[in-house]
Amino acid sequence: MRIQESMSMYEKLNILTDAAKYDVACTSSGTSRKGDGTGMGSCEQTGICHSFSADGRCISLLKILFTNECIYDCKYCINRRSNDVIRASFTPDEICTLTMEFYRRNYIEGLFLSSGILKSPDYTMELIYAALFKLRRECNFQGYIHVKAIPGANPELIQRVGFLADRMSVNLELPTAESLRLLAPHKTRKNILTPMRLVQNRMEENKQELALYRGAPRFVPAGQSTQMIIGATPETDYQIIQVAESLYQKFELKRVFYSAFVHVNEDKALPARTDEGPPLLREHRLYQADWLLRYYHFQASELLSEENPNFNVMFDPKCNWALKHLEQFPVEINRADYKMLLRVPGLGYKSAVRIVKARRLGVLSFSDLKKMGVVLKRAMYFITCSGRMMYPTKLEEDYITRNLLNVKERIPEEVRNMGYRQLSLFDDVRFGRGLYEKGGSAV
Amino acid sequence: MKTVYVCSDTITGIYSAIYDAWKDRQSEETCKVALKHALEQELFCEYRQVEETEHKAQAVENLIKKHLGRRVYWELYHAALSHDAQKGDAILGTMLAARRIPDSTKIMEHLSHPKVEKVFELSRSVGGEAHSYKGFLRFKELANGVLYSEITPKNQVLTCLAPHFADRLPLENWMIYDKTHQMFVVHEKEKKWVLVWDEQIDRSFASCVSDKEKEYAKLWKSFAKTIAIESRTNPKCQLNHLPYRYRGDMLEMENVI
Repeated sequence: MRIQESMSMYEKLNILTDAAKYDVACTSSGTSRKGDGTGMGSCEQTGICHSFSADGRCISLLKILFTNECIYDCKYCINRRSNDVIRASFTPDEICTLTMEFYRRNYIEGLFLSSGILKSPDYTMELIYAALFKLRRECNFQGYIHVKAIPGANPELIQRVGFLADRMSVNLELPTAESLRLLAPHKTRKNILTPMRLVQNRMEENKQELALYRGAPRFVPAGQSTQMIIGATPETDYQIIQVAESLYQKFELKRVFYSAFVHVNEDKALPARTDEGPPLLREHRLYQADWLLRYYHFQASELLSEENPNFNVMFDPKCNWALKHLEQFPVEINRADYKMLLRVPGLGYKSAVRIVKARRLGVLSFSDLKKMGVVLKRAMYFITCSGRMMYPTKLEEDYITRNLLNVKERIPEEVRNMGYRQLSLFDDVRFGRGLYEKGGSAV
Repeated sequence: MKTVYVCSDTITGIYSAIYDAWKDRQSEETCKVALKHALEQELFCEYRQVEETEHKAQAVENLIKKHLGRRVYWELYHAALSHDAQKGDAILGTMLAARRIPDSTKIMEHLSHPKVEKVFELSRSVGGEAHSYKGFLRFKELANGVLYSEITPKNQVLTCLAPHFADRLPLENWMIYDKTHQMFVVHEKEKKWVLVWDEQIDRSFASCVSDKEKEYAKLWKSFAKTIAIESRTNPKCQLNHLPYRYRGDMLEMENVI
């Protein structure tokens, strides 16, 4: 397959966007930088979303592939070499112009550059380097750049690219080495972890350089991230979050992204095609758990176990944890420590901080909590204010489960109906119980 | 009897009203700040038209910065840009409440106070809208090379956006027009930005775009469409993040809404 000489910018952009869309991360957060007045661009710590596409994902960066020509044959990937798709490549110049012109119209927050492997990892990395160098040094672009480090590329090259980018990521592709061998025959776990470790070590050194001299060039200031595909291989949720946890601990990653497997190829090694579409709920639960690991001081082993390896479909992981640990509740809002507040369903880390600050100045009541953004219809079963619950509720798993599942109701049934309830044949609380407990396996 | 200080819906107006109330040594129960255009007549009140001056506004600004600190100042400033008619009252109430607590700089943590809570809420919504516009705003290049944008915000967010874009696009001539409040912010290359209002400007120049503009607009529209994964289509999620009110001014949403 050859690149057609006559291909217009419009066609190229379409092909290389279409090929890049399965990459998950589109965040522009993690670094804060003022413009220096000589070029264009700045970065905000929180990141900025510039639009939202029809699938509800944020468009923050110009997410494109350098090329969709690839020497590898990964079975899940649309760009695998055995697929008959139109191939195209950008030139470093084209990438620069496109980024600058989009940026000045405020379409995007920066560039997300990934690539298929053209000829060899080194060759591809060099092309990426050329594009970034031109963008940073010739166009004086100070916006956000997220770039992929290509496994197998020369460490020196990866380092050089790291000094031009804000964030780097190496795709883990699949949660375990076994799955990787099955679906991505040309990639090995070792090959993927090597550049990840390299970036980690270099970031550590860079910290020292910056401590010594504040004006030292910064290496990957927004940290590194990775992504893996969920649902293409038989790993359990427990295995997946354990992998994520160890990546956070051992590789100091900023983020791990999960990508629900989308069927783009037919291959006997892939799971059979169903009508259900990508496992979005599972992906959502994994993200929720991921936040619990990063911001809520949870351990993977607290959320799931060998015996119970998948997340509940009905409840988010925190709620599920709370229902299994009712002995730790109710929590007194005016006294509980910050870490315990974080574990209450319906309480986020922002509202937990607000509570800790506000209760120094007075006793908090339920109406105060509501104003602070606490989701009371969830939290009310687990908290007390000055020793009282919001409504007389029972601290029983079945009772809370039943009420939480009726999401539209704000107050418990008993309270609403003044304590009376119509008898019904299906009132037995154990009815349908297996559904909540084994829910995870249905995904 | 209550005194109601009536002022215009500008930062200068609100701060001047606060200046007068402060000078008259009013307490929370005896005074109120109301906006001219949203005045609701009440019984047993004395209405006082505030004489609005830069001097008064500056004095109040300094007072806040000195005693409540910079962070509280930004909260109050953001609240003052809100479209809510109660904003003046909430700001004055917060300032009066701050006098009664030992460390006035911590007033924004005192969320159980209704006025403080109101300021918190207003500031959060203004800050949120300003942040959204940092992303959702679209420039188009006019034939003379000027980048031009129109937005329809609920609150007066222009002064929150201007420093952001001035830092980001220092070498460009750009302007943003707030259609709701008929205000412009204008930035000339390598100069400071200025806010322009009460000015009759013929906006017909905006339809004359540069040659390149159509090409990039087409590229962007197609990018925004292609980047979505079909099997994940989720309009509800998209709507949660990108409400309809922003879409009117967004290029890629033109024929989608």
